[in-house]
Amino acid sequence: MRPVVIAGVGMIPFERRDEDSLVDMLAMAGLKAMDDANLGDRPVDAVYVGNMASGLFNHQVSVASALVDRLNLMPAAADRIENGPASGGSAVKNGFLAVASGYCDIVLVVGGEKMREVIGPKATDIVACMTHPNAEYIYGVTLPALAGMFTRLYMEKYGVTREHLTMVAVKNQENGLLNPYAHIQMKITMEGVLTHPQAHVNSPVVADPIHLYDCCPVSDGAAAVLLTTEDIANELKRPIVTIAGVGQATDTHTLQERSDPTDLKAVTIASQKAFSMSGIKPKDIDVAELHDAFTILEIAESEHAGFFSKGQGAKALAAGETQIGGKLPINPSGGLKARGHPVGATGVAQVVELVWQLRGEAGKRQVKGAVNGFSLNFGGFGNNVIAFVLRSKS
Amino acid sequence: MNTITAYKCKKCGLVMYPHHFRCLKCNGREFEEIKPSANGKLLTYTIIEQLPWGIDERERVLGVVEFDNGVKALGVIKAENPKLGMKLKAGWEPVRVIGGEKVYGLSFQPTK
Ligand SMILES: [Zn+2]
Repeated sequence: MRPVVIAGVGMIPFERRDEDSLVDMLAMAGLKAMDDANLGDRPVDAVYVGNMASGLFNHQVSVASALVDRLNLMPAAADRIENGPASGGSAVKNGFLAVASGYCDIVLVVGGEKMREVIGPKATDIVACMTHPNAEYIYGVTLPALAGMFTRLYMEKYGVTREHLTMVAVKNQENGLLNPYAHIQMKITMEGVLTHPQAHVNSPVVADPIHLYDCCPVSDGAAAVLLTTEDIANELKRPIVTIAGVGQATDTHTLQERSDPTDLKAVTIASQKAFSMSGIKPKDIDVAELHDAFTILEIAESEHAGFFSKGQGAKALAAGETQIGGKLPINPSGGLKARGHPVGATGVAQVVELVWQLRGEAGKRQVKGAVNGFSLNFGGFGNNVIAFVLRSKS
Repeated sequence: MNTITAYKCKKCGLVMYPHHFRCLKCNGREFEEIKPSANGKLLTYTIIEQLPWGIDERERVLGVVEFDNGVKALGVIKAENPKLGMKLKAGWEPVRVIGGEKVYGLSFQPTK
């Protein structure tokens, strides 16, 4: 396989975007990545679009074909890639494979979702369509409900407390204030979420023990990366950030069929594969973007990915190690918690943030001197996980 | 009483629910259809306060129950104060209306 370089990145601010259609958003993010790569009029060989549910949210399918038309990228190959919340990561992985194999020289990967076209409970129902139709969905299970059942077990087993969960939310919303692309631009405090007389109003129960501030918001948005070879990236005069490692793994559809439901095996295996391919070790990672759709996930993923041993993630968090300026800053972008989680966009947006960090272009949230980055895109409830290790060569 | 159907691998004995075409342990393809036993214990639960579109309730408790014969399944928990490990007795009732039709599923009540 030949090295694959991320020559261009772009995204549009995640928020509620009533004026833009899904394909508008994909096109805007795609153009930014093409321009960031100095692509000019060079042809693109293939376009991969990560999107979970345009048919259900927006009554539109074949959005990859629609996108190449809007961007005048014909006759580029175009595919929409649906892999639940890991759709964005899957799209980046497929773009990587296309360039690494030599089949394509220039690939545009765009992830996007427009979720706010429907009301909240409807969005919750659409997202719940990823659960098992007979064994889960009919009971009214939601993703927060799966997270609630998981959180209860994780708290019980590892001594994670509501204070720990809230620390994730406070940290990531603080980071979000430094990220102009983040949906949630609001500082919150431990007191306001936990002990204030109005705490139950500020952060009501969603799926006990999960509260509102343990959940990511429902957002519209898109993010894009332009992948190419090292030679072409040099011709385009772009800084060299390579995809050094890619790992993906799956697990059972339902939580109840895992012998230990607190063990996120797919996270462990996907991360190990990405690390082993890259030759980079967890201790060499300078910045990580994890899939904190729920606060517990940032803690659990930081352990399963190999940064901390089991039960130590919450302690590292409490000690400030995962803040910007700490030993391993996690989610300097604000993560899904603050940046937002337009489902198909997330896996791509994580990679975009890492590229900005590794190029030293992350502004006020810059992790100083970052060379190696790690991202983890968590699909279903851990049944399909994709990890990337990125390295800056400049 | 109506209930779910679980699957016991004829080769290695693993009990599975829901259905798989190959055994999760030994890849066996032949299964004995079994019913969960009457009682089980609560492995984990959540109290959902924000239910999805299509469920007209303010609150619903869902939990995973391990039946005495090893079947594990999600269901509606009808207990005032759910507790991990509590003993529950299975029932069968409408759990959701989909396309105007009542869909039946597992419900659980504390054993007396
Ligand atoms: Zn078997």
